[in-house]
Amino acid sequence: MNTSRALRLVPAIAVIALLAWPALLRADEPSDVLRDVWTRIQQIAPGQDPSPNRPHPQAVQTSADAPSIPLRDLSHPISLERSIRTAASVPPAELRLAIPNGQARLGDFSIGSDQAVTGDLLVLEGTADVYGRLNGNLVSWGGDIVLHPGAVIDGDVLALAGQVRLEGGEVTGEVRTLSAPAAEQSPAAPTSPMRHIFRSLAGTTGVFLTLLLAGFGLVLFGKAPLEVTSDTVRSSFSRAFIVGLLGQILVLPTFGMLVVGLVLTVAGILLIPFVVIVFALLLVAGIVGGALAVAHAMGESITRRQMAQGRALSPNSYRYLMVGLACIFAPWLVWTLFGWAPVAGELMLGAAILISWLLASVGFGAALLSRGGLKEQFAGRFIPPEMLTDEFLWATPRFGVPAAKRPDSSSTRPGIRPPDGTR
Amino acid sequence: MRLPLVFAILVAPATTASAVHGQTLREYSSTRQDHGESRLSTTIEYAGGTLSLVPAPSGILYALRLTYDADRFAPVAQYDPSVPQLTLGTETLPRTGGVRVSHRGTPPAATIALGTRADLDLDIELGAAEATLELGGIRVSRIKVQTGASKTVVHFAEANPIRCSGAEFSAGAAELIVTGLGYSRCGEVDFNGGVGKVTLDFSGRWSGQMHLDAGIAVGELVLRLPRRAGIKLELDKFLASFAPAGLVRSADGRTWVSAGFENAPQQLVVELETAFGGVTVEWID
Repeated sequence: MNTSRALRLVPAIAVIALLAWPALLRADEPSDVLRDVWTRIQQIAPGQDPSPNRPHPQAVQTSADAPSIPLRDLSHPISLERSIRTAASVPPAELRLAIPNGQARLGDFSIGSDQAVTGDLLVLEGTADVYGRLNGNLVSWGGDIVLHPGAVIDGDVLALAGQVRLEGGEVTGEVRTLSAPAAEQSPAAPTSPMRHIFRSLAGTTGVFLTLLLAGFGLVLFGKAPLEVTSDTVRSSFSRAFIVGLLGQILVLPTFGMLVVGLVLTVAGILLIPFVVIVFALLLVAGIVGGALAVAHAMGESITRRQMAQGRALSPNSYRYLMVGLACIFAPWLVWTLFGWAPVAGELMLGAAILISWLLASVGFGAALLSRGGLKEQFAGRFIPPEMLTDEFLWATPRFGVPAAKRPDSSSTRPGIRPPDGTR
Repeated sequence: MRLPLVFAILVAPATTASAVHGQTLREYSSTRQDHGESRLSTTIEYAGGTLSLVPAPSGILYALRLTYDADRFAPVAQYDPSVPQLTLGTETLPRTGGVRVSHRGTPPAATIALGTRADLDLDIELGAAEATLELGGIRVSRIKVQTGASKTVVHFAEANPIRCSGAEFSAGAAELIVTGLGYSRCGEVDFNGGVGKVTLDFSGRWSGQMHLDAGIAVGELVLRLPRRAGIKLELDKFLASFAPAGLVRSADGRTWVSAGFENAPQQLVVELETAFGGVTVEWID
């Protein structure tokens, strides 16, 4: 195939891909995709009527094992529609229905002006024209109900995926209509694995990318606080978790006390809106920043371990964040792929939530301990950064025999007396 | 070779997300013809979205037309002819699934028409809804409106054909505007507000004395009063502002009276309790 012929095929492939994409999302089986694509092609083809042909009018047969569709109570049209949809999902020749105290018809049906029908009536895929009297409820599915002048329905009327046209007549009960769903999706229908995976993957990826971008922004504009919080996570993990836990418990009381305190000062009432906003922003910053610090700490540990094993890697905060976030999202990825499975799905979800909460608590605690990355007390940094010069480190060994021989920093140096002359 | 791969990784989730965010929009309607019912106890429960309530054309007892997202809401239309009791509105479906990506979707939109021949006992409960309730011409024997975080406008465009035993309004963090209360023919009006802006407009005509019992915590209450009516306002406030706008303070220090209150053919007695709110009086000519 030469290049120009191949290029000519591109638009056709694009159109087919465009048609197949929604079907792919809905389908459980590959055959569903093909059928759906073919239906769409038929729908857009010129001269084609997208609506299916109405079936030949006939009574729906009943049998002992036929599904029963009671029409006495029409106040729950959604569940009734579901029952009818399930029962009518077979070819017309195989359709069997049992209507307690009533009958079912397939295709158009009319009650003449001199006729009186007693019992509930279900009309499938046809228009129900009523000129006479019906002593019972009337339900149509996939067709309209038309009440002509002089018609009387002593009961309720329900049109599923159709309309009720009141051209005259009387209905003693309720007239209801429920349109067909705009997308074939029932609220109670079980979600297919493919759909679950696509939907969950979209959500998980979205959250991951959002956090990643936020993390990159933090590295760009607030690297030092991030590193201090990250070091606090690594050096004081248990302490950070306990502080995070306490922080969660005390957030609301603190907020309440703050507001009450401002109210009591009278003048502070004006500050309440600003305090609310600032408090909320600080809380979000603490939680998100803390979570990113945890990711940074995890990524740093993993990267350094890999480097210690001889792998040539570039140790930088961007890598740390990406690796750490990937680790945090690993349980969510497992849930994304297998969460559709009954019981196991719920367990995976629970585990993912628990792990995320644990890490978020640690991060929040670390953010509190380090005062948002400003305080290094719990970050395991015993030497002030300004002293981390080559000269200082060379002249002042911190480890080994020379360090052990160094005098205690709290004691005074030999030969130097305190100014007050004591000693 | 790496760049297209990175691009595909970044773009794929976005396209997937936009495709799976579909919603199941449905339309539901429920209508009942008027068969000479003389009274109807009506409850409207509306979780969120927009709601319009209007008088129904003759021959209709009630009608509901609702467009809603079937993944999030379910229509409610129940009628018990023995009471008779009517319940209309929507209910929020419990959420299913785990991580739920941003899925706001289209909020429900409903129009409810209520018949003008039966006496209606109205109980309206609104969640995060934006509602316009036009009650002019409807026979309201009693009305209770509860709003959550919403904007609600209640309007009496014309006089209530029957006397109303009471009107009760309560608003959370909501904006509530009630106009034409003079047409409501409700002897007793109760209002309870949390955090929000509330306007109670007493335009319209009534005979005798109307009584308003209002309480607002942290919010703004605007009282729009007809200049021709006699007004007596008893105010119990704590750290709240009040603009009397021409009302004269009596000797007890907490009652404010308009000139000629005793002889006015239309009288309105207001008992107002507020903590941190602001109360403003505006006059209608």
